[in-house]
Amino acid sequence: MKESRLMLVQYATAVLAVALVSVHLLMQGVVTPYATAILFGNILSIYRSGLYAVFLESLLVVVLVHGFNGVRIILHEWNQSTSWSNWVDIVTVVAIVASVGYGTRTVILAIFGGGA
Amino acid sequence: MTEVKLVIQRFNPMVDIEPRLVQYIVPKREGMTVLDALLYARDYVDHSIALRFSCRQASCGSCGMKINGRPRLACYTQVDELAGGEVVAQPMDNFAIVKDLVVDLESFFTKHRELMPFIVRSDPGELEQPAAEFLTTPKELERFLQYTYCIKCGLCTSSCPTVATDSKFPGPQALAQAYRYTVDERDEGGERRLAALDTTHGIWRCHFAGSCSFVCPKGVDPALGIQLLRRHVLTGKPPRGKGEGAQVWKPAGRPGAQAD
Repeated sequence: MKESRLMLVQYATAVLAVALVSVHLLMQGVVTPYATAILFGNILSIYRSGLYAVFLESLLVVVLVHGFNGVRIILHEWNQSTSWSNWVDIVTVVAIVASVGYGTRTVILAIFGGGA
Repeated sequence: MTEVKLVIQRFNPMVDIEPRLVQYIVPKREGMTVLDALLYARDYVDHSIALRFSCRQASCGSCGMKINGRPRLACYTQVDELAGGEVVAQPMDNFAIVKDLVVDLESFFTKHRELMPFIVRSDPGELEQPAAEFLTTPKELERFLQYTYCIKCGLCTSSCPTVATDSKFPGPQALAQAYRYTVDERDEGGERRLAALDTTHGIWRCHFAGSCSFVCPKGVDPALGIQLLRRHVLTGKPPRGKGEGAQVWKPAGRPGAQAD
């Protein structure tokens, strides 16, 4: 993928992350008091409301893509050899996929399991 | 007679292990530039001082160096404008030292050439057998005029923090020139030029520190050019206004004549 496309993704995820995290903090600290928001049963009910589960999954993807792409840029500037650049790109993709996969697993387990 | 305390960084990579600062005392005169002081030291105190210079009027860009910690042209810096009464001359950062104040500009000009700093036309026949002039309008000229003032002194590149850490980054001078030619109405090589700079170590690695624009002795704003070029790459659209008034390739080169 062209670097300009990756940077476009970086800028878009930055804006989205600010918006999504703001809504998340609003929901967890203002609309629902923080002490109530972190109760186990309350968290499970949040995951099991479809819209909020999609919201949390979006937050997960946006923040991880932005974060790992940012680390990729830093690592590219740190060393300029071609082999290093190739490895950085591969590891970044693997890290994003693995992290999103693990986070999604948590969301799915909370929706269908969770013990409550 | 008043004197100038001139401190020069001396280093010959063929002989020395590390650079050292050597102090010279030269007589001061009214209107004396740092280049004047350096040449006096070289001519009358120590013939082995190596420095590069030519025009003495900020046109050739040869005498770029770090003076009192800031990249400047030696011929364009008056001794009196420097605070502290001491002049410390060092080679530009981000370049390998050839000797003393002379640096190796090979990579600088290589990167400049890689971004095609010239008008590219799709029909080579136009250039080989020109039948008319390539005209532009004052309105078109305004968009890139400041970038034509670049004298390729390398001061912007020496002040760039990204060049200091990323050896493949083209640098502010090359990117600003890429902008200058990409927005030129007569140019048709934008796609090739943008493909060359839209890479992992290309235009996106600029951190917009702005030090390039701060040190430019000709008033060029490379940081602005880089940001405008980024917008062009991202949107895929020509820069604002391009093609809205230029009259290109006029028969016989007469303004106002009908285009082919």
